[in-house]
Amino acid sequence: MAEDNDSEPIADGSGTGIVAPDDETPTWSERKERTQGLSRLTYEYFERARREDQDLRMESDYVERDVLGFPAWPHEMIRNFALTSFFVGLILFLSATLPPHIGPPADPSTTPEIILPDWYLYWSFGLLKLGPLNPELSILGGEKLMADRTYGVVANIVVVGFIAMVPFLNKGSARRPVEQPFWAGIGVMGVAFAFTIAALSVKNLLPMDSHLLFDLTFLIPPVLGLISYTVFRAMQEGYMYSLNRRYYRLRPPK
Amino acid sequence: MADEFMKGLAIATASGLIWIVLAGWYNTPGFEETQLLGADPADPSALEAIALIVKEGLFWFMILGALTFWVVLPAAREARARLAN
Repeated sequence: MAEDNDSEPIADGSGTGIVAPDDETPTWSERKERTQGLSRLTYEYFERARREDQDLRMESDYVERDVLGFPAWPHEMIRNFALTSFFVGLILFLSATLPPHIGPPADPSTTPEIILPDWYLYWSFGLLKLGPLNPELSILGGEKLMADRTYGVVANIVVVGFIAMVPFLNKGSARRPVEQPFWAGIGVMGVAFAFTIAALSVKNLLPMDSHLLFDLTFLIPPVLGLISYTVFRAMQEGYMYSLNRRYYRLRPPK
Repeated sequence: MADEFMKGLAIATASGLIWIVLAGWYNTPGFEETQLLGADPADPSALEAIALIVKEGLFWFMILGALTFWVVLPAAREARARLAN
């Protein structure tokens, strides 16, 4: 870095789209001097990357602006008003065109055939059906340590406890799954388990052998987690390559 | 590229919205019965017949329109760029 660096080079993609030369960027005559060997290879590599980036920018119609933010009034408020109007209008439209069904009043004297919680609690309802996992301990003479229903409630505590623990195990500094494949795999496993355990909770409604469903409930999530881990792991090299390419294009090594 | 995605998404959501309304009107025998995918009304009036045709058209427009902007046009552009090189 030279001392007389009074004007900061603009390298955020604004302007002509061509990275402005600063004192670290070789001049064109300097580049032409690199005519052989490793320096030639390096020059071609970065020149090609720069050229690709320039072509992409030339064919893009996206305009970058040198604006840090917009004032709340009127810009942000108009945007918020537009979004609010859109969703309120959607609700009005749907409620006018598809008026909600009003069923007969509830009959407190009869019990419905199917009793289920709301769909978003199926996973918790499924955890209550883990009876086959409750071990019969030989130390207790073949007795179970706790009743199956207690076991199901404890399973809820275990799952909620694990979810509460995850932020302490990994703060989540990755901005994309490909940056931390292991934790992405853990996440995929958790999401898959939420769906499979929800399917288990309605096992009497599914056209499927319930023992097979019980096995699949615990087999599918690790398999999906492993698959996503390997896929992200395989993507990582290419991702790091393009990331590094972008970085060194803006700050070419001397 | 983002514009192409937005066009496809707008086609899919807008035609899907109209489709769901028409299907709710003409292909939903009841709340507790088949929803949106019920049988067409027997002996439809002229208005109902037009609405059923529009519904069918919108259904395919939803699928083909989104596919066009998300798959066909980018693939064609990619292929043209490959051929040009």
